[in-house]
Amino acid sequence: MEATLDSLALGFSVAFRPDVLLYAFLGCMVGTLVGILPGIGPLAGISILLPVTFGLDATKAIVMLAGIYYGSQYGGSTTSILMRIPGEAASVMTCIDGYAMAQKGRAGAALSIAAVGSFVAGTFGVVMLTLVAPPLAGLALRFGPPEYTALLVLGLVLLAYMSSTSLVPTLLMAAAGLLLGCIGIDVMSGHFRYSFDIKELGDGIGIVPVAVGLFGLGEILSTPSGTVTQKVVSPRLRELLPNSNEWRLSALPIARGSVLGFFVGIVPGSAHIIASFLSYAVEKRVSRTPEAFGHGAVAGVAGPESANNSASTGAFVPMLALGLPTGPVTAVLMAALLIHGIPPGPQLVSEHPDVFWGFIASMYVGNLMLLALNLPLVGLFVSVLRIPYAYLYPLIVMFCIIGVYEVSHAIVDVWIMLIMGAVGYLLRKFDFDPAPLVLGLVIAPTFELSLRQSLVMSGGDWLIFFQRPIAVTLLALCAGLLALAVVALLRKDWRGRLARAQAGGEEA
Amino acid sequence: MNLRRDHVGGAAFILIGALVLSMSDDLPFGTLASPGAGMMPKLVIAAMIAFGLILLARARASPALAAIAWDDFPHAVRLIAITAACVAVYSWLGFIITMSLLLFGLTFLVERKPIVSAALFSVGVTGFAYGLFRVALKSPLPQGVLWF
Repeated sequence: MEATLDSLALGFSVAFRPDVLLYAFLGCMVGTLVGILPGIGPLAGISILLPVTFGLDATKAIVMLAGIYYGSQYGGSTTSILMRIPGEAASVMTCIDGYAMAQKGRAGAALSIAAVGSFVAGTFGVVMLTLVAPPLAGLALRFGPPEYTALLVLGLVLLAYMSSTSLVPTLLMAAAGLLLGCIGIDVMSGHFRYSFDIKELGDGIGIVPVAVGLFGLGEILSTPSGTVTQKVVSPRLRELLPNSNEWRLSALPIARGSVLGFFVGIVPGSAHIIASFLSYAVEKRVSRTPEAFGHGAVAGVAGPESANNSASTGAFVPMLALGLPTGPVTAVLMAALLIHGIPPGPQLVSEHPDVFWGFIASMYVGNLMLLALNLPLVGLFVSVLRIPYAYLYPLIVMFCIIGVYEVSHAIVDVWIMLIMGAVGYLLRKFDFDPAPLVLGLVIAPTFELSLRQSLVMSGGDWLIFFQRPIAVTLLALCAGLLALAVVALLRKDWRGRLARAQAGGEEA
Repeated sequence: MNLRRDHVGGAAFILIGALVLSMSDDLPFGTLASPGAGMMPKLVIAAMIAFGLILLARARASPALAAIAWDDFPHAVRLIAITAACVAVYSWLGFIITMSLLLFGLTFLVERKPIVSAALFSVGVTGFAYGLFRVALKSPLPQGVLWF
């Protein structure tokens, strides 16, 4: 514990450097805007701004990009409450009671409860991250290729199990991502695979063009300006404070959402979306007045908003401690660290303590900044929503092109982004979730390398995965989850309800 | 037979899998003790085709193909066409001209905004982006034939 506190002190010495503070502030500010604007989620925002961080050192880059991620969770509630449009997917549940509160003249109170809940949950998540990540990284140092193979299989199975769509399409998307990840030079034999004599493809397909295309451009392609509502309820500053009854009603949902969100966040999949859905369901179940849900229940805002913020922090645990991305956002953040020459994973704590602890400490500071930003500046953020969408989306398309081109200055990447945009549009039409594809693409090189190394180590004996205690435990977990998934396929479960809620924002 | 959404989705992935498999002849599978460059792609293709077949087999439970709303399709096609045209000339015409054309194309041709406001918006925003990325952040943007 003492060692943790000493390391955290080192982290704060990094996080309080004026230049790091500035980039944390910029990340939080941009993240809030990204969360507010419909059509740009945290993934697209981070992907577009990734090239801007190339000139920075790794600490500033990751602090800024993470600020965008958790800032977007704060900002997403604003459009949900004021316009009934989720700024990003995790805010779907906030639309239901947040907008109902706004219709009753309590928009300011709803915004305050969402901001305070997000702050409490975000801070709780960082405390847990501080305590959990270093020992987990210590354990992961004992991992060899078979353990990593089993861990990545578990990651894929967990993703499929927790996905909001059904099991088969999720695995299909993950397989497509793994196949895309095979493009380029094979690191073990030097063979060119599917590169069609295009030299830029020798290094493989980048995560940024795929992520920006699927999530940024794909969203814009399926959102004609005529379908975007821009009627905004604007609360006055003096209306921002909730009354004592609203504070009392929100206290326990914030606490429950914080704990639930963190543990759901550790699991791969659309964790922050699932966390907000589960929190809403829990609050409705434990409420003495469940009939109030859907008509402006305070707990319906406090719980889900806390849960999605805590989950977004929880997602950093496997990323930092194991080098395992739990979703596309953490995958892009991992790519950012790799671009700066820092491999995330168990060695991060010991080899780059300034980056690891500086990043964690900056999250404490970032959560405070977001609380300070979100309430007084709500009027400013609301004014951004008044920019007509017909002018906003061309701007986003331009930033997508700039962002993707700046990664490697290759026009091929921009073409890949455009193709992926069209693919993302079609995937939406056929109800495929593109997130597992990005995850498959990210883990493909590590997965292939560890699988082949394991087989070489064992002289071609598959039993190596069942002879090592950690690997066999992880594979047993996979088998258990697959069995549960098959049971879930046979009956309606929470995935169906989540999919319906995401589609229509209806009451769960 | 009523064509369902997952009939098309499943069949598309089976076809993609078969196509990629046909392009994998030159990649050796190797042996288990010495896996080759083709092992991972071929295993993944096999999984993809298997999942595609499962999707196809369970397609009757999915919505009808005709239920998919395509009202945003013209918007998507126009946007892709204009963006593709601009990407094609990006390296040749450079950042300022290409991005001005892209923004003008999207606001004037797609969104039918008045020509003057579309032009002012396109030039103003491109100038701002050039200042931000090229001047302030020193990012190398494509210069094109006119050196800007």
